[in-house]
Amino acid sequence: MRTHGPLPLWDTLHGSVQGVNKTRNQDHYDVEGLGSAGQPLIMAVADGHGSAVHARSHLGSRFAVDLFVQQARQFAALAEPRGELRPPSLAWLMNYAQYTLPRQLVSAWQEKALGHWARTSSHEEPALSPPDKLVLYGSTLVGAVLTPRVFAAWQLGDGELTVVTDDGQVTVPLAPDEADLGDETESLCSPQAWLRVRTHWAPVTTPARAPRLVSLTTDGLSKSFASDSGFRQFMAGLDDRLSAEGAECVRAVLPEWLAKASQHSGDDTTLVAAWHTATAPAGPAAPAGPAAPAGPAGAAAPAEPAGPPEPAARTPEPADISDMTDPYRSE
Amino acid sequence: MSGMLDSGTRLTADSGLGVEVFDLLGAGGQGEVYRVRTGSGDQALKWYYPACATPEQEDIVRQLVDRGFDDDRFLWPRDFVADGRGGFGYLMDIRPDRFKGLPLLFRRKLRTTIRALLTACLYTVEAYQALHSRGIAYRDISWGNLLFDPVTGEVLVCDNDNAVVEGDSTGISGTMAFMAPELVRGEPGVSPGTQSDLHSLSVLLFMLLMNHHPLMGRRELDIHCFDEAAERRLYGKDPLFLFDPQDRSNAPDPVEHATVLATWAVAPASLRDLFTRNFTRGLHDPAARVRESQWRDALRAVLDAVVDCAHCGKQNMTEPRAATAGTCWSCGNALVLPPRLVLTTPPPRTEHHILLHRSSRVQAHHLAPEPARHDYGDGTLVAELTEHPQRPGKFGLANRSGAAWTGTRADGSTQEIAPGQTVPLRSGLELDFGGARAVVRAR
Repeated sequence: MRTHGPLPLWDTLHGSVQGVNKTRNQDHYDVEGLGSAGQPLIMAVADGHGSAVHARSHLGSRFAVDLFVQQARQFAALAEPRGELRPPSLAWLMNYAQYTLPRQLVSAWQEKALGHWARTSSHEEPALSPPDKLVLYGSTLVGAVLTPRVFAAWQLGDGELTVVTDDGQVTVPLAPDEADLGDETESLCSPQAWLRVRTHWAPVTTPARAPRLVSLTTDGLSKSFASDSGFRQFMAGLDDRLSAEGAECVRAVLPEWLAKASQHSGDDTTLVAAWHTATAPAGPAAPAGPAAPAGPAGAAAPAEPAGPPEPAARTPEPADISDMTDPYRSE
Repeated sequence: MSGMLDSGTRLTADSGLGVEVFDLLGAGGQGEVYRVRTGSGDQALKWYYPACATPEQEDIVRQLVDRGFDDDRFLWPRDFVADGRGGFGYLMDIRPDRFKGLPLLFRRKLRTTIRALLTACLYTVEAYQALHSRGIAYRDISWGNLLFDPVTGEVLVCDNDNAVVEGDSTGISGTMAFMAPELVRGEPGVSPGTQSDLHSLSVLLFMLLMNHHPLMGRRELDIHCFDEAAERRLYGKDPLFLFDPQDRSNAPDPVEHATVLATWAVAPASLRDLFTRNFTRGLHDPAARVRESQWRDALRAVLDAVVDCAHCGKQNMTEPRAATAGTCWSCGNALVLPPRLVLTTPPPRTEHHILLHRSSRVQAHHLAPEPARHDYGDGTLVAELTEHPQRPGKFGLANRSGAAWTGTRADGSTQEIAPGQTVPLRSGLELDFGGARAVVRAR
């Protein structure tokens, strides 16, 4: 826990472990800021799809995170303008969050991936169409921005945004609708991917009502549990442990938790979390005391193993581009 | 994050109705919506964010509640609710699950049909027309506040709390992508009203049918920071239609805008012409915008001219009264125009051409020269095509109305068709619906 200067609004945790039997970690993440107007809290995790079809997805996930951070800074600057500038209405910001940011982010990611291909591919490589090139870089993304005025988050593909509310409820607000389950993995390389971005929009009307914990994870973590409830229990335990023992203690054990989860899921496993310290003890870690819960270590440790480790490679079938260009395909 | 109101919070509406907050349904641009329990059953409560809970907004909501607009196409504010500490909101009906938002359509997550989409467009036009005819400007038409039933095309307009009496310039709002250019530019003396609503309505119709914004072409791709200044340029200072015939500098990009290229290509010329007029001359001259009645007539005609592909069964829009139908958008085979029912209303005579497909229907509005409202539901059904139970491939027109018709065959013989009876379809058959007359034509 930081001990110098003013108490930060948010304290952060992060970690990522490579899946067993994988040659490289295809996850990427970033986190910055404190949640103030000048230093908005920005978090992102991305999961490159892996497998030969997505041979450059470790780069795709890095591009996704880097470009999201850029877009998120822009969004936060719009939400909290400096100086005399009048802030835009919440309605305008919501429209920006729901439609403009996904559009810009996907365009920037595609431009980056195609630019990278142009710079690094040799003439001997087979000629690929732009959509085929994008598939090589395919990645998911979960990102969030917190400013004093708004909390907004975005998700494309799998992974989890978990929010523990001020009253302790564990929610996963961007979980796909039931109707979306069973679809191919949605991805930044999908045709018109911006239409598939799910947005969480929650203006902060009262600081006391801000969430207590916001966590972004790749699916290496959730897949390590046999059920959704196991994952939620893990998150509730993380919140409890942060409240009881402080972020420093959790930081120390996080790599071990992620490693255990990764062993069960077989996948790269990444967690980025922000904890609202305004409600936390201001001093060093609070004594755990006898009532301190076992914490998420108990949950991540194979309380509900998901069975034998599965190979991490996923083979999301990128939707046939002709599907999206056929008008009224859903007819 | 929890909402502004706790579950269990008790409030009292202006009417005296007790309200208990039950569940947060969602957050929007101006406030949150909760499911609440009342003595009259569950309802929805919109509660404004503190920044939006202004005296001006309170006045608007109170006026809208007092106006008591009873129309099933609108989730209208029904009762004013305040907490006595500056917070307020209003009660409205809960949105039935069958109504879906446009983002699901754009993501291809809805099972719908071209007929349902055209019906939704027609109903949308008439919904706003109903509002305008009462002297109310909606001012915030956008894809966020229109819901539609993907099966029937019925529409539900929500977020009506920015509607004001025409001429009232209180708190200009709206989503810039849907705002008329003169409003985006902030020209002096210009305030939102019916004329600017017509622009927003056309944008909405374009998005329903083309699944894309009419001004977002190549220029959009050059914008790297889509801030308010960029939006003002795109939608206000220098708007340019994707398919402007004189200026192709904002044309769709073949990769990025593949959907709109495909949907535009299959739209009939009559609709494309109206969109082109609205988004070329109409961008700069509000008087040149397409009026609701023009949209209504064009959409109704195209709806009557939808053809089912004989090869793949997909629905195709065709140009009303055209002699040929082109090829199917889905399988590429040539479309075959079926026989048509040419229906002439009583004076002032209007002619409708209804292409006769397997489930063609004649509705009450087909018989009226100037129907106040189109309704494709069962309650207004007059006639429908039915297949002969013993002779597949033979069709007749069944009388589903409450009155008998008179039929005259090509040889001059006549026949009365009582309610429930079916008359075999033959070219040249004339039908008298008791005012409106119709004739079956092979082509």
